[in-house]
Amino acid sequence: MKRNRLVTLYNMDATRTVLASLISILIGLAVGSVIVLIVGMSSSNLSAKSTWEGIRLVLFGILSTGRDAAGSLTFGFNPTSVGNMLFRATPLIMTGLSVAVAYKTGLFNIGAPGQYLIGTMASLMLALGIPTETVPAGIVWLIAFLGGMAAGAIWGAIPGLVKAYLNINEVLASIMTNWIAANLVTWAFDVSNFKNVVESTKSAYVYKTTFNGVETPKFGLDQLFPGSQVNGGIIIAIVIAILMYVIMTKTTLGYQLKACGSNRHAARYAGIKDKQSIVMSMAIAGALAGGGAALYYLSGNTEFYWSTYQSLPDTGFNGIPVALLAANNPIGVIFTGIFMSMLDIAGVQLTALTPFNEYITDVIIATIVYLSAFSLVIKMLLNGRKKHKAAKAAATEESGAETTSGEVAAEEAGKIPDEAPDGTDAQPAAEGKPPEDGAPEKGGEAK
Amino acid sequence: MAAQPDYIIEMLHITKEFPGIIANDDITLQLKRGEIHALLGENGAGKSTLMSVLFGLYQPEQGIIKKNGKEVKIKDPNDATELHIGMVHQHFKLVDVFTVLDNIILGAETTKLGFIQRKEARRRVEELSERYGLKVDLDAKVEDITVGMQQRVEILKMLYRDNEILIFDEPTAVLTPQEIEELMATMREFAKEGKSILFISHKLNEIMEVSDRVTVLRKGKCIGTVNTKDTNQQELSNMMVGRPVQLVVEKGPAKPTDVVLEVRDLKVPSHLHKRDAVNGVSFDVRRGEIVCIAGIDGNGQTELVQGITGLDKVSGGSIKLCGQDITHSTIRKRNENLSHIPEDRHKHGLILDFTLEQNMVLQRFREHPFQHGGFINNAEVRKYAERLIDKYDVRSGQGAVTVVRSMSGGNQQKAIIARELDRDKPLVVAVQPTRGLDVGAIEYIHKQLVAERDAGQAVLLVSLELDEVMSLSDRILVMYEGEIVGELDPKKTTAQELGLYMAGAKRQGKGEKA
Repeated sequence: MKRNRLVTLYNMDATRTVLASLISILIGLAVGSVIVLIVGMSSSNLSAKSTWEGIRLVLFGILSTGRDAAGSLTFGFNPTSVGNMLFRATPLIMTGLSVAVAYKTGLFNIGAPGQYLIGTMASLMLALGIPTETVPAGIVWLIAFLGGMAAGAIWGAIPGLVKAYLNINEVLASIMTNWIAANLVTWAFDVSNFKNVVESTKSAYVYKTTFNGVETPKFGLDQLFPGSQVNGGIIIAIVIAILMYVIMTKTTLGYQLKACGSNRHAARYAGIKDKQSIVMSMAIAGALAGGGAALYYLSGNTEFYWSTYQSLPDTGFNGIPVALLAANNPIGVIFTGIFMSMLDIAGVQLTALTPFNEYITDVIIATIVYLSAFSLVIKMLLNGRKKHKAAKAAATEESGAETTSGEVAAEEAGKIPDEAPDGTDAQPAAEGKPPEDGAPEKGGEAK
Repeated sequence: MAAQPDYIIEMLHITKEFPGIIANDDITLQLKRGEIHALLGENGAGKSTLMSVLFGLYQPEQGIIKKNGKEVKIKDPNDATELHIGMVHQHFKLVDVFTVLDNIILGAETTKLGFIQRKEARRRVEELSERYGLKVDLDAKVEDITVGMQQRVEILKMLYRDNEILIFDEPTAVLTPQEIEELMATMREFAKEGKSILFISHKLNEIMEVSDRVTVLRKGKCIGTVNTKDTNQQELSNMMVGRPVQLVVEKGPAKPTDVVLEVRDLKVPSHLHKRDAVNGVSFDVRRGEIVCIAGIDGNGQTELVQGITGLDKVSGGSIKLCGQDITHSTIRKRNENLSHIPEDRHKHGLILDFTLEQNMVLQRFREHPFQHGGFINNAEVRKYAERLIDKYDVRSGQGAVTVVRSMSGGNQQKAIIARELDRDKPLVVAVQPTRGLDVGAIEYIHKQLVAERDAGQAVLLVSLELDEVMSLSDRILVMYEGEIVGELDPKKTTAQELGLYMAGAKRQGKGEKA
């Protein structure tokens, strides 16, 4: 009986999706540990003990509480780390949602970094530009947040428009709007008077929004996680994630956008405005990325390094693995977003407590980024037998046989299956990497 | 059974099981050298599975395959190719952006130092194409040529590989009557040269015309093999379906009333060339009649329907539906008064990755009770879908939650028919509603359309099949090169006369064309 129930659970599609993501994560962590090991063994400065400490921090960095009097690592609940993790997860969840929602509607939004930058610009300028002497700070915050979302939406809608009316692939258009955003934002802050010149070394930074008295309400989270940067943004992000889940699965809007994403022609046949739907999907995706930027920079304690014209924010690109690891499920994005930021924190602990530096965690993140593309492959392997059988069962129906035999024949001839022009598959995930590699400086870093 | 030398391929006692279903149950099929052997069965009878076993796509649980009396193992399509077995799939396996020549030599390229020897290949293909009268444009890209020519490319692919056992999987489903004629002639030519042909079909007249022997499958079992000479269509269809089937549509005389659709001097631009594909077409469709647009594929029927349903923009003329001018209305507006059974069920008719129930409300998801305050009422959608599934006998693996992609073509079509007819609109536009379906399903769909007519709806039918045109319609409009060249009464005309109009050899009225 019990066994049967386990088998049913295993056979559920959702279970396999979760399993596939967990496997990617485990492989990523294992690779990270191996790298720590290799670095530790090859460097004469590092003892076996510190290598072992490095591995422990890679795996359990979030629970690290420093070192005790005897000099050995201690672990336990660290409210500061957890709070910071939630703080850094906030924009990741939002950009993850941006990618996931677009993906659900058949679009690959690689434009999240650009939308994030534009959102950053809009919300910072609004938050610093509207005088809090005349307008209450709370209202300014709201205007800045909504302004960030709106600016992201407009920036996202551009590739949407180009796709809908000129049939130009949204990936190409998004890559271009990303770099346009980078230059536009640099220019805008260059000519603005929001530059932080109080501290002379900081000329390329924009004031924190607290300069104008604007910051995200804490909702008591600072009491829960004392000493951390956490604020109410994480709660807003989670609420938005749930909202997106509801919109995508329960509403006519979600139905319409998904219908258009999986078969534009059939949607049109049914009287759905296909062009509008594509623009709408991209605008929603842009709004989410822009909103992520707003939540991050309106926190009050983050400064923005504006001279970004040669790099794009990691947070935008990291939305892609966050979404892929979550199999594009908005609820899943909450967890994968938090997980990715947990790795970040582990990196910070690693740097603080051992001779290793945080780039190890960048390697882990990179591994997971690649594996998250593979998580679909892993799922396929898990599904392997079941899917094979199902396909064969379907083949008893004539058309089923056509599809299966079609795939085989297509492989045989090296042909691209005919869905390719319409659907965007998982592969572009790998394409999300190169610009990130070429971006040595980080766009906006928490201080 | 001892191997007889005149059998080139023997599939003996083939059993192929899939979880929950036996697709092939102890089937024996023997193919003689130089014969055209038809394989007949309904959708889901196991024809394609059996051919997939022969082509190496599936491994049977039991049974053996012999070639020339010697047992052979076919593990994948490469083994099949080595045994000179070739297959033309129902949906062609061509690379759209490659030229015809490149498609033919793909996978069997002659190379010198790694360079493709196109010149030599071209000579061979040209020779084959000439010998069998398979006209193709070797330098055209596959995406630009007609379906008929694509099929000839597939046939040339088999010939180029020196195949001697040719499998045709429902080759006529996509062809025009003329192209079918040509294909039949080509097949006979092959047989005369000693090539052996397996011909999968559920079109009885074609089987009667071209095949030497017929093997009938039903629900995975072999019902029997008969000589075509000794049987007739009725007997074959009874064997196939397992019950007596009405081959002729039964319907009373039409009682047309009010005009529902009024098309005046309609012009629709073509996607292929700069001229109008529909060039000044005028006609009416009234309640209580089935009007059929007949014609050879590519004479503007598709564009006419897309102009009426709003999928294409019109460049001139007017369309009135139920008294309202809809010439430039949105599709959604038009859908208020018309149902559309589209020509391409995968492109327009269904969202293959959606579930059956989601597809059932494709146009109606905004309507009450499926929508409430912007939310979709899943319980109502489920209830509605289940009612339709039940009423129209749509069969699928998991009922309402089946992903449509996994359903058989016949049942996909039934789902569309259920959705469109249940919307209960004054005008039903049905484009090739029975394409690729078996006699049982065709009988059913014809009955449904007649029932719609008798319930007082107007039906506009577009069909390429002469039999269907003759038996189902109350009025026939023949389209040729974008114009209506004749209006015929099916009771007073013959298939031959209709054919003359379709071929452009005859036209009524305005004889302005030289």
